[in-house]
Amino acid sequence: MEKNKLALDIKKIEENFPNNPLEFFKGKKLCLFKACLEKYFPGVRFGIENLLEALGLEVVICENQSCCSGPFFQRNLITRAQFSAINERNLNEIDEIADILLVSCNGCYNSLLRGRDFLKIPEVKDKTEEILKDLDNHMEENKYTEQFKNFDNIDLKIVHDLDFIYLIRNEVAKNLKFDLKGLDVAVHYGCHYLNLDRDKDMETYLKNKTKLEELVALFNGKLVDYSEKELCCGWGASQLVIHPLEALKITYRKLKSAENVKASFILMPCPTCLYTLSKPEFRMKIEELFNDKLEVATIHLNELIAILRGCEAEQCVSLRRQSTRINLIYNIITNNE
Amino acid sequence: MHESSDENWNYNFLKRLVDDVDENRNLLQCIDCGRCVGECPATKISKFNIRKIIRQILRGDKTVLKESDIWYCFLCERCKRVCPRTGINIPILILNLRNESFKKGYGPRYDDLTKYFEMAERFLTSGFVVNNPLDGILPEKRVKELDRICNFARIKYIFDAKYHHPIKLREIFEHKKKKNKEYRDKNGEK
Repeated sequence: MEKNKLALDIKKIEENFPNNPLEFFKGKKLCLFKACLEKYFPGVRFGIENLLEALGLEVVICENQSCCSGPFFQRNLITRAQFSAINERNLNEIDEIADILLVSCNGCYNSLLRGRDFLKIPEVKDKTEEILKDLDNHMEENKYTEQFKNFDNIDLKIVHDLDFIYLIRNEVAKNLKFDLKGLDVAVHYGCHYLNLDRDKDMETYLKNKTKLEELVALFNGKLVDYSEKELCCGWGASQLVIHPLEALKITYRKLKSAENVKASFILMPCPTCLYTLSKPEFRMKIEELFNDKLEVATIHLNELIAILRGCEAEQCVSLRRQSTRINLIYNIITNNE
Repeated sequence: MHESSDENWNYNFLKRLVDDVDENRNLLQCIDCGRCVGECPATKISKFNIRKIIRQILRGDKTVLKESDIWYCFLCERCKRVCPRTGINIPILILNLRNESFKKGYGPRYDDLTKYFEMAERFLTSGFVVNNPLDGILPEKRVKELDRICNFARIKYIFDAKYHHPIKLREIFEHKKKKNKEYRDKNGEK
């Protein structure tokens, strides 16, 4: 399996900076990828941004970055070359202002690596180049064509927030004000983290993923196993929008399984999974369909870090729509001092 | 004759589907073990059965393009991870099947496509799929770039239909379906 050159080589950083991997990131510009669904959970962005700043790292946001376009590619509404062109446009814009790209969403992370993967197919690469050339001609710039010629040598490296937080976990732990004592935590990785082979060697790809579990232990929480740990959240590349009655069966199965083991909350590294597992309308529909009111709370890793670091409630649990989802967790954790 | 018998196979359809995705040539190595089916979320809620679909492809059975099952795949990549063979990329195979289905005029149900009206409109006018994204929308010049990249893509037809001709899309689809049916009837295709 060929490793993707775009993904940050975490093993190499661990080898070169065994005592403190954070040192690798010092002096580098870190860009946060704008995931569409962060809109509903501003604490996901705040959690990582505030952590990076507290650790003395420089954070930037790319004004010219668009949605990854994954939802349209997954429904065959754009071609592979168009998907790759959108991806290259984003990568080039981000490369201009940053050294490392951090991604909070499994879907966006998958798209960024997949778009680049498609360029290994000569036919797709040629068409992508053609699209970018047309774009430059139309916009009277040589911006994307010139950069695309060297796409394999792009300096930018990308890393998933979970991998980044795990890599610098000891430094994160030093910055925590609270812990997870007394809380039973179920973890959910999300399909496009759990099943993705794009940035991994075969061994890493196939072996069990344990980063979330290790972080829960580091934060002094009690891990609870549940039967549907590896099941999809139900989003299923927009199946929840297209076939809601069927897809909600998967969401119900997942949530019920976590409730059965009395999990205090489900911890995950993806805002799309969080949206699916927590949206009040989905919970109400589940109650209507299955005559079962599920109340298990859900939280993104970045939001949890913000709470554990003692950030203001309004910042780490701010929501466009009021919900008891995270307030309960917040109150329990902050009373643990 | 058993449906898996080599004598039953017809590789032309497979070749067309996987022509530009090298790794899916390994589909011929599928051992029919069913691990993909056992761990598939779509199989738990619909008639989607990837083992059956692979058999159909290997036999050259194009009726698979007409079946709504292929639109139920979650693209979760679980099948790829649990497959004991290396280099079989089922999610990409499904995307290629869906593409062929679109081209033949079967496609997804019209009502399913309409659920993309709003998302397509938002993407092509603001650069994001949600209203009022966290950091504001994309600058106008960059939105024009996205629009240009998406020229001739299905997303544009959906957007145009929503924006300018609310009922046009259904007409286009029905017309295309009718024409395709006429063509198939004339040429004796299934």
